Amino acid sequence: MKLYLRRRKKLLKKLFLGLGFFVIGFLLLMMLSLSEPGSDVLRPSQIYLFLSLMCICVIAAYKPLDFAISLLFRNWLFKNKSNTQFLLMHLAEELETVLNLHELGNLVVNTFGEVLHLKTVALYASRGEGRDYEVVSTYGWSLTEARKSPMSLKAAIMELISSHGQYVLVRDKVIRAMGWKDATRLSHDFNALRASWVVPVYRKLELVGFLAFSAADTESIIFDGADFQFFKEFASKIAAPLRNALRVDVMQEEIKKLQDEQSELVQTTKQEAIEQLASGIAHEIHNPLAIISGKAQILLLKKDKMGISPQVEEMLKAIVTQTQRASDIARKLLMFSQGGGEPPEPLNLVQILQDTIALISYQTSIEGIRITSAFHGDIPFFEGNVHEIREVFFNLILNAVQSLQEKGGKIHCEINYLEREKMIEFFVLDTGPGIPKESIQKLFNPFFTTRHENVGLGLFVTKQIVHRYGGTVRVESRLGEGSLFLVLLPCRTPRKAGKEQETAMV
Amino acid sequence: MIRLLVVDDEIEICEFLKSYFEERGYQVETAGSGDRAIHVLEKFDPHLVLLDVQMPGMNGLDTLKWIKTYHPAIKVIMVTALETQEKIETALRYGADNYITKPLNLNYLDKEVQGKIVNLIKH
Repeated sequence: MKLYLRRRKKLLKKLFLGLGFFVIGFLLLMMLSLSEPGSDVLRPSQIYLFLSLMCICVIAAYKPLDFAISLLFRNWLFKNKSNTQFLLMHLAEELETVLNLHELGNLVVNTFGEVLHLKTVALYASRGEGRDYEVVSTYGWSLTEARKSPMSLKAAIMELISSHGQYVLVRDKVIRAMGWKDATRLSHDFNALRASWVVPVYRKLELVGFLAFSAADTESIIFDGADFQFFKEFASKIAAPLRNALRVDVMQEEIKKLQDEQSELVQTTKQEAIEQLASGIAHEIHNPLAIISGKAQILLLKKDKMGISPQVEEMLKAIVTQTQRASDIARKLLMFSQGGGEPPEPLNLVQILQDTIALISYQTSIEGIRITSAFHGDIPFFEGNVHEIREVFFNLILNAVQSLQEKGGKIHCEINYLEREKMIEFFVLDTGPGIPKESIQKLFNPFFTTRHENVGLGLFVTKQIVHRYGGTVRVESRLGEGSLFLVLLPCRTPRKAGKEQETAMV
Repeated sequence: MIRLLVVDDEIEICEFLKSYFEERGYQVETAGSGDRAIHVLEKFDPHLVLLDVQMPGMNGLDTLKWIKTYHPAIKVIMVTALETQEKIETALRYGADNYITKPLNLNYLDKEVQGKIVNLIKH
């Protein structure tokens, strides 16, 4: 690698310089000893001169020699360091094909952290011009923790990076070089990044992001200029893949947003269409019904004059009652589409429930069906529309009654006030045959019914009404054991209404 | 003879109400719209008007307002299909004497009409 060639030259230069000094010292010694061939032993003055010259040489040669030896030693010892660098550069090349931002980020921080034995590594990137630098991936600390501190463009560290360009920021050096105020801000940023070093990732002149990392023990790893040079090179290598991955990520984000918006739009359009249709049908159907019913009634009134047989009379009566039933369906549809219309008033739910149970007992055959009801807690007045609430009670109880029609059984209704949640709980429990799992999903769909004589609007309207009040409907059912319909309605004005009581009706 | 005006944009409804009330001995005229009703009303001078709320053009509420402004003595019973409570209240505020919902229960309607007429004849 280029990096190491440059380094080797430097090493040789120092080595030759040190050796040169030694050679000079040795030559001087030789010259001195040769100058007086007669004497066997060197004179003290000559010895001193020799020694002093030697000292000068050694002193002059010490530093370069030491440096050369240490570098040789390091180069040999850090054979894996060059391996590390090779690995990271190889990774950088590999990254060019990775388009998933998180995969790329994880690859970078994990490899970086593992091979350099770092404590924490975090990769930050900006998704677009002017946007904050947010964490992409972390190594050694949690992503959620890192997400808490995105770096805005105005952060001290970002200002420093943009003013210094591609230089690696070393925490201690940078902070020492700054004034007191800037140093505080900077150390705050470094702390937020949990970093001792910050390597900006530049793509040409654009700051794509940066790598922030720290060592477990600052003494154990000390990077030198060459390492920083390498970090810069690594950063510039990953800049392009990171930029691409960011673009892809932004695009995917936008696509997702668009899809969400579209599906929401489809949903509301669908809802609106259903409401329009419902209201249209409800209105249009009424006049024909009025005509059918009216004419049948006139015939009934004229029965004596016209000599209508009892059989025909029965039929005419059936026409009148069935048109009334059809008009009830239309009314339900309209109730669903209009959303009330009447201003809410304080309602006594206990009273409404009792009335509803009485009405159902009167209207439908409940032979063999026992309906009980109970109320717990001081049930407050509920702000709402009496017709709508009655509709909810009526539909749920009627549903239970119809499920018991064949075999009979028990129905238990209960209204409770959940003080802590400020919710009114209403449930209907029956001992009917239960609802198969696949039907539960469709239960609240309009026109879903398992009984032929039904229209399948009751539960649908119930759900619409409950939702309008910000409540929820839940169904639990076990085949052969029965079903539970639970309604929760938020109640914001807790005022006392019903007292605790239990009633039973057969 | 008591004069009755039936206003409804559905001819069939007008027809069967007409035949029903004629059977009962009333004199009945029909009108298919609010404008037509005003036109008929001037000549016919009914004791009571059965007025549909929802009609194209001049609707029931506007017609009611007109009747109660120029002929306050004429009784008006509104015939509503699926009108909201709000609309019904507006009608009562404008001076409607009562309202009845479709599909019509003719017995009930007859009683309502008679009740209004009895009052009228007494005065």
